Amino acid sequence: MLKYNFDWSIVTSGKYFEWLVSGLKVTLELSVVGIVCAFILGLLIAVLRMSHFRPVRWIATAYLEFFRNTPLLVQIFFWYFGSYKVLPTVVNDWLNSTNFEFAAAAIALTIYTSAFIAEDIRSGILSIPKEQMEAARSAGFSYLRSMQYIILPQAVRITVPPLVNQFLNLAKNSSLAMSIGVMELTYQARQVESYTFKGFEAFTAATVVYLVLSVIITALMDLYNKKVLNPHRA
Amino acid sequence: MKRLAAVVIGLAALMGTFGKAIAAAPADTLAEVKKKGVLVAGVKDSLPPFGYVDEKSREIVGYDVDFVKAIAKKLGVKVELKPVTSASRMPQLTEGNIDIIAATMTKNPERAKQIGFSHTYFATGQKFITVKGKVKSLKDLAGKKIGTAKGSTSEQNVKTAIPTATVLAFDDYPQAFLALQQGKVAAVTTDEAILAGILAKAPNKAKFEIPNVQISTEPYGLGMRKEDAKFIAFVNKTILEMEKSGEAKRIFEKWFGKGTPFALKRTFKIVADK
Amino acid sequence: MEEALNFQVIIDNLTYFMIGRYPNGPLGGLGLTMYLAVVSCVLSFFGGLILGLLSLSRHAIIRHPVNLIINAVRGIPLLMVIFWMYFLLPAMMGKTVPEATTVIMGLTIFTSAYMSQIVRAGIQGIPKGQTEAAISTGLKPWQAMLYIILPQGLRNMIPSFVNQFVSLIKDTSLAFIVGVSELTHVGTQINNRTMAYPTEIFIFIAGVYFVLCFAFTSFSRWLEGRLTWRKSI
Repeated sequence: MLKYNFDWSIVTSGKYFEWLVSGLKVTLELSVVGIVCAFILGLLIAVLRMSHFRPVRWIATAYLEFFRNTPLLVQIFFWYFGSYKVLPTVVNDWLNSTNFEFAAAAIALTIYTSAFIAEDIRSGILSIPKEQMEAARSAGFSYLRSMQYIILPQAVRITVPPLVNQFLNLAKNSSLAMSIGVMELTYQARQVESYTFKGFEAFTAATVVYLVLSVIITALMDLYNKKVLNPHRA
Repeated sequence: MKRLAAVVIGLAALMGTFGKAIAAAPADTLAEVKKKGVLVAGVKDSLPPFGYVDEKSREIVGYDVDFVKAIAKKLGVKVELKPVTSASRMPQLTEGNIDIIAATMTKNPERAKQIGFSHTYFATGQKFITVKGKVKSLKDLAGKKIGTAKGSTSEQNVKTAIPTATVLAFDDYPQAFLALQQGKVAAVTTDEAILAGILAKAPNKAKFEIPNVQISTEPYGLGMRKEDAKFIAFVNKTILEMEKSGEAKRIFEKWFGKGTPFALKRTFKIVADK
Repeated sequence: MEEALNFQVIIDNLTYFMIGRYPNGPLGGLGLTMYLAVVSCVLSFFGGLILGLLSLSRHAIIRHPVNLIINAVRGIPLLMVIFWMYFLLPAMMGKTVPEATTVIMGLTIFTSAYMSQIVRAGIQGIPKGQTEAAISTGLKPWQAMLYIILPQGLRNMIPSFVNQFVSLIKDTSLAFIVGVSELTHVGTQINNRTMAYPTEIFIFIAGVYFVLCFAFTSFSRWLEGRLTWRKSI
């Protein structure tokens, strides 16, 4: 019978510790890039979805439904392995000269998450009374300007909690990037396992790091809820 | 932060509970397998000609598969094939999910600390596939991206052989080759026999080659649980008999010999390890 | 490498995509995906119900540890949960566990944590007065919960449950990483063998998931509409 001997030193110092740290760095980079891009794209899709021009609305809706209802892992595979047939040669060559694993994962995470964010923002916008838009328009603002100055700032404020949730999901989902060779935290934990056969220690270290990330983000959101959404409650 | 501390403590408690009994594999596989009437073998499922799914029969077939079938036949039991990857095969074995690994596994001292190996049943060397004419020596790969599979000896060897290269580890070799076809990596490295298998199946094989650059020799062994001396002895006896009867050679010829796309020469014989 | 797409590879392997090696071997492909999703969904319904009720317990000694576990599971990636099952299940069961079971347990634990939040919100959405009224008729608190509050709450939760099922269908794709031959794994297998049609294969797989998930998403919306309509009359 196999007896398991714990050896925590491998994940707290030395070469394998450095691997895990470099993995965390990639996870953070991927998350930040993904969050910024997904937010911008999600905002755009949300606005397009509420356009008065029907074809635009349809396209935005189709985008949203398709990417929400397909597994992220399949999307990652598609961008990494499948996209070369649909992209022009020039673009392919350029992408391949860059760090394409990272880019493909970032693109997949951005598009997948933007579909969810768009829905959250849309519910936020819909929760702003219609009269505000009418008032803004009658005050001489164009549709886009009314959105920009009157509706969106309010909508974004109440959309923050669900958005933070999506960001948290994105950070956790970035672990799937390991499947195309992006050397993020989960990938490195697995590497440590296959080099040292100390899977238990490696995965504990990675799990704790993910938990700490989640706790920090959740704590910030609680703070936001207290300070911004309910400033008058003690 | 209070919550975080609680989470960490909770986790530590969990580990204390389960850490004591990590593995629960049977101690005497030989008796266990005979009792169950099934030998569970971990094999590759997309690596022709070692182990891959045949398009027509939808069954896993290959060189490795024929070896476990022969061993099962000798035992008088059925075979159950479980697909494994380079990264998953050893944990699967030690956890007892499979009884034997027949998945292009190189014997090395690191691994021999964890599991037991049979005598060498296949021998090859680690090389590269590249676009034709691009690579003459190892120097041509310095600083390039090189694809291979996670948890393989190939990955560790290439890091030592070309420290400046970026090694991208995929789930399996064909994925790495796909990345090569699309220009995402400059070379794919692993054992020559595997590379030949991939190249033979590649749709645009004329564009690629396997330059004569070898970075290591790779003897393959069947993997079993280390403490399982009886089973290891049985498997060793069986494959030595297969060599003697010519069955081992027949299996080689069937998958690698003339008439196959690989046309490799059998440069090794199954002999008892020293 | 601009090339025309060639979907012949899908037609050639359609049976394998749909059922894997069944009936001569184990079920795989789309069939296994559905099996994993349905079994995990049923298990996590009960898991979520139990966790949700416990997390609302009046006793802090029950409530706090349960909330801790729920939050911990929600704080880590599903992939990590599956890897953990890989380590812990054999130790807990004292024997080996097939990969499909490992994945089902991983999915169940992960999804139960999310379902518990749905259950919680559903129960909290029922006015407090109902509990008080039920108790004043002589029911014990747990009876009030079981016979009065829960049945109403559950009805409102149905659309969220269906949405969670859609997430589960998508999440089964992670089974690929531990080598379970569900749809995504089968896709990469065929991709590895043919090595020429990644675009076609992944578009096809995405399409299959989409049809399945979209059908359930639409169903959930329809249910939601019906429930609001019933409430409004």
